[in-house]
Amino acid sequence: MIQIGGYQVQTGIINGGAEKLIDLKAFYTFKEIKEGLAKKLTRAGEFTPGTQIIIDVGRRSLNNKQFQEIEDLLLDYGVHLKKIIAQQCNDLEERSVLVERMPYYTDTIMMSCHLRAGQRVFHKGNIAILGDINPGAEVIAGGNIMIMGSLKGIAHCGYYGDESTIIAAYRLKPTQLRIADHVTRPPEGENENVQEPELARIKLGKVVIEKLKN
Amino acid sequence: MKSQVLVITSGKGGVGKTTTTANLGTALAMMNHKVVLVDTDLGLRNLDVVMGLENRIVFDIVDVVNGNCKIKQALIRDKRFEGLCLLPAAQTKDKTAITPHQMKNLTNELRKEFDFILVDCPAGIEQGFKNAIAGADNAVVVATPEVSSVRDADRIVGLLEAAGLLGARLIINRLRTKMVKHGDMMDIDDILDILSIELLGVVPEDESIIVSTNRGEPAVLENNSPAGAAYKRIAHRITGEYLPIPVYDSNTENFIDRFRRILRLAK
Repeated sequence: MIQIGGYQVQTGIINGGAEKLIDLKAFYTFKEIKEGLAKKLTRAGEFTPGTQIIIDVGRRSLNNKQFQEIEDLLLDYGVHLKKIIAQQCNDLEERSVLVERMPYYTDTIMMSCHLRAGQRVFHKGNIAILGDINPGAEVIAGGNIMIMGSLKGIAHCGYYGDESTIIAAYRLKPTQLRIADHVTRPPEGENENVQEPELARIKLGKVVIEKLKN
Repeated sequence: MKSQVLVITSGKGGVGKTTTTANLGTALAMMNHKVVLVDTDLGLRNLDVVMGLENRIVFDIVDVVNGNCKIKQALIRDKRFEGLCLLPAAQTKDKTAITPHQMKNLTNELRKEFDFILVDCPAGIEQGFKNAIAGADNAVVVATPEVSSVRDADRIVGLLEAAGLLGARLIINRLRTKMVKHGDMMDIDDILDILSIELLGVVPEDESIIVSTNRGEPAVLENNSPAGAAYKRIAHRITGEYLPIPVYDSNTENFIDRFRRILRLAK
């Protein structure tokens, strides 16, 4: 346990990314919880990218809309919600997990197509395409994107804000790459000839392009 | 022989759809085929001017589909070739004056009379484009070696595929051999890499096209026009003959070009 801004925050390392517990037991209404959370996040300052947050709301229970609002708020600070812990009023169990969501991109669509200018593919899960993505075409996925061909258009992975998603392509020559809310484009004027498969992901808050290794 | 309806389209304006239609039509007529050119660019008709037939128009395509006249009355016979006809567009209406369904009926009617029906498509992807492709069996996409033109051509190929017109073929127009040799212009391989459709032909940049267009005499009628010769070869390919496409790329650098390039580098 460490102290951040007068609040107790538990830290731990899971899968290389930090995990933080934020204690919100002292607040009663949802409005107070939100304000308190925002305050704590501001005081805590910079989080390492990929940090996952566990929130303890004590005796409160949250509905889906409120859950979404908390998730959005956390995304504004560049962190992800892992779970919310709530202590039910008359429950003998001291703590129970109220909401723990699976990633929304467990399903994958596979397509064999040549995506031309003006065409757009959207899927809430992963997308795997056998074919080229031409300039002017868009591929948007909630999860990861894999292109077995040249990616010359726009690709957007982690559409709902997941920064752990990746874009992989046989030839990565995009007009623009978007991962969660990061937007990048290739350096201007450089016309390097890509000769091997590459992948783009977020590393320390920046989009990086790496060779595809096994 | 079964008649063919070919739509000549590009997406972008000014790449040479109308010039291509006029020249291919004339070249096919020179080969003794019965050809009709249909101008679907309602409101901005040009094909009649390029063919030099503007002063003969009485009825137009809108009159035909609305039943104001018979097809025979609206068709204008070419002054040079017996088997070549033009169905002009209306100048005072807009693209909504005909529907894709009417266009389909019209092309089916024309099939009875002609071997080749060449439909000159307007620029853009709206109603005019939808009308033009409605009755087509196949499409010819015209693109110039410019990024914007290739991008639009790519979009058009996608829309054609969505409309069930697979197997569109490409004409690369206004290729400047010199600029390609110096690496200043997209070359044929760059374009084919993006569009990945069959190449029907390459037309080199030719100033005499401007002269012939203004005079209303298609370039294929001239014997020493390089563009006219290219259009003639394309017409042969359309009829199913195999003719190789001349090489225009940088590998054919001759001694003088090489000398020039070295001088240019030395500057």
